[in-house]
Amino acid sequence: MEVSEKVLSIRNLTKSYGGHAVLNGVNLEVERGQIIGYIGPNGAGKSTTVKIMLGMIQDYEGQVVIFGEDIASGDPSYKKRIGYVPEQAELYDNLTALEYLAFTGELYGLDRAFVEEKAQKLMVEFELGDVMHSRLSSFSKGMRQKVLIISSLLHNPDLLFFDEPLSGLDANSMMVIREMLAQLAAQGKTIFYSSHIMDVVEKISNRIVLLVKGTVVADGSFEELQEMSEEGSLSDIFNQLTGFTDHASRAERFISIVEDGTADA
Amino acid sequence: MHEFRTLAILSRFKRIFIKAGIDYGAMETILRMKLTMDGRRTPTIFNGQKKKDGNQFLKSLWIYGLYGLMVIPFLLFGDGHYIFQMSIVFGIIMFILATTMVSDFSSVLLDVRDKTILQTKPVSSKTINTAKIIHILIYMFFITGAFIAIPLVVGLFSKGIVFTLIFLAALLFTMLFIVVMTSLVYFVVLRFFDGEKLKDIINYVQILLSIGVIVGYQIVIRAFDFVDLDLTYTFSWWHLFLPPMWFGAAFELLLNQDYSNVLILLSVLALLVPIISMYIYVRLMPSFERNMDKLMSESKNRKKKSSWWVDVWAKLCCRNREEKTFFRFGALMMQQEREFKLKVYPSLGFSLVFPFIFIFMELQTRTLADISTGKMFLLIYFGNMMIPTIIHTMQFSVNYKGNWLFMAAPIQKPAAAYSGTLKAFLVKLYMPVFVLLSIAFIAIFSWRIVPDLFAVLLGAILQTLLTYKWLNSSTFPFTQSFEFAQSEGSAKLFLVTLLAGIFVVGHLIALAITGGIYVYIALLLIAIFIGWRKVFPMKNDVPVR
Repeated sequence: MEVSEKVLSIRNLTKSYGGHAVLNGVNLEVERGQIIGYIGPNGAGKSTTVKIMLGMIQDYEGQVVIFGEDIASGDPSYKKRIGYVPEQAELYDNLTALEYLAFTGELYGLDRAFVEEKAQKLMVEFELGDVMHSRLSSFSKGMRQKVLIISSLLHNPDLLFFDEPLSGLDANSMMVIREMLAQLAAQGKTIFYSSHIMDVVEKISNRIVLLVKGTVVADGSFEELQEMSEEGSLSDIFNQLTGFTDHASRAERFISIVEDGTADA
Repeated sequence: MHEFRTLAILSRFKRIFIKAGIDYGAMETILRMKLTMDGRRTPTIFNGQKKKDGNQFLKSLWIYGLYGLMVIPFLLFGDGHYIFQMSIVFGIIMFILATTMVSDFSSVLLDVRDKTILQTKPVSSKTINTAKIIHILIYMFFITGAFIAIPLVVGLFSKGIVFTLIFLAALLFTMLFIVVMTSLVYFVVLRFFDGEKLKDIINYVQILLSIGVIVGYQIVIRAFDFVDLDLTYTFSWWHLFLPPMWFGAAFELLLNQDYSNVLILLSVLALLVPIISMYIYVRLMPSFERNMDKLMSESKNRKKKSSWWVDVWAKLCCRNREEKTFFRFGALMMQQEREFKLKVYPSLGFSLVFPFIFIFMELQTRTLADISTGKMFLLIYFGNMMIPTIIHTMQFSVNYKGNWLFMAAPIQKPAAAYSGTLKAFLVKLYMPVFVLLSIAFIAIFSWRIVPDLFAVLLGAILQTLLTYKWLNSSTFPFTQSFEFAQSEGSAKLFLVTLLAGIFVVGHLIALAITGGIYVYIALLLIAIFIGWRKVFPMKNDVPVR
């Protein structure tokens, strides 16, 4: 395993929906133990990339190799080493938290008794111990998010895709997750982290990939990105690299319309 | 947003609302928004197919018109005995109104989005609540109108104008009574239980409605002989607790000029109870709103339900772990998803009831002993009628968006998904009905039919497999939106339902030959054994590393 430190490699990945190109030749090589902040404006193709890597979208062009295996082969076994938290917390709501987690764990090939015990322990750590037998439909956004995070980790995966994993979580839980991500990476897990919250991405990732209109426009550590663009924070860099510079004048116009709205008085 | 005629009519009563301290402009805005949304709540079909326009609710009203015909016999027969006929008429009206109120308008009454969207705006809660009630009443008017239009015309011609006027007034009070009573019942339930319980109760009422309408229809058709005219009314104390009697009594009182004390008492109840309950409702509304928070909040911790027998069955009839996983998943979904239960449990009810309805029909002409020697036990095949509907419904789920899981998870044998779910259906839904029917049928037809029952069971299993093969196109169960459920394959569904007939024919042929039933059973077993393996191949055809 020492030789294949490369966990993931994407070559010239292209994908279009009905003539409209979402991905325009994405290239990416990822090594073991990296936390990659995968950022980009809305509609840049972040979720599409992740879905392709998970085998959820099949008709793409280019090559995706995960754990040394081309995922186009059709064997789903590589997914056993992947954990995924989707952006939308869509779950089978009528199941209880424990039922859902047991089902997920079994789909990943775990023994049921084992996965139930593990899920219970994890839920207790996440302060869901009291509600594990309640239906997910009664869960708040943050609680659902916790269930999703647990479901992505039950099978101890080597590669994690987290899409906006902190949404709905309170500050304390966020700290837990951030610390957890750092420790997982230290143990050699690879984490693919998509988010719009730039200061979190700035702090936790050791590599940042910026996707704009289906192409990687920046790829490197935060420091490297800073040198590239001479801006201070990641969100400033983000604004500059995505060519969005008129935020001040937009805000000004917005405010003037708000204050001008005296029509109904 | 276009203007609604309903709102134009409502604005005639503007002054009453303003006098009651309601912000009429705000109420009108809310109602316009609600009606616009209702008009868009349509089963849309993507893929370039034609989108249905207009308010689907209004287009479904003719169904109520059809139900309304059921009332006419009671209006016409039993001349002059208003207390009987009108009590029955109002009983039917109340049943229909109450059940539709619960099944269709609970979402309006219990809409929690109102809380975040409307209550944060500078509109008084009195205005919001009135808008809510008016919104429901508008639809109740439409339903009652459609339901009662034809009976009302019949009544006008056969009983005259006074009768019609009393009828209209009574209807108004009935509507008020039903709307307010339903809300009060919700209030009580929410006060003592949590939101999940209430949703369960609503779910069961909806199921009851669908069964009630069909079975009630069967009974009413057979009730034509009850034109027994020599009835005299004797009062019993429990009549006070039957709301339809109040209204029946009012007709008796006013039209037959029977001023006995009990009739006056009952009629006064018809007038007062709706008004008093309305008053109580208005007073309780604020605490009702508070209890509605329970619908949003998380429910109390519950005990884990033991499901050891599901595990036992999973071990018995599944071939590998993935199949067992889906067996348990399918069993849970069928047991816990309300929308699924709503679509499916009525057909379970019919399956249980229909064989007996036909036996009772036979009983009119023959004795039970006579029936028990023949081939009438084949009526048990009506129990298999539920199979197509349920297998069709299995494709859908309210939470179909949770289906990303099946694509993200490393599922080695996708065929295990439906194989396990179908087995769960047979064990969890089909078997209970079949066992109940079998017990009753063995009681009627004696032990001689046991081999036949076995053939029926095997037929059901084979039918399940064939129906799945023809109807379902998706790889995984519970992964599509219910929006597609109506549009797709309803013609196909009907054809597949006829499939049950083939098994009856097969069974009849087997019975014509001595010992034929055992050959038939053997054939079915072979067909199931080979068929299941063919439809759900689970050899590892994906390369394993």
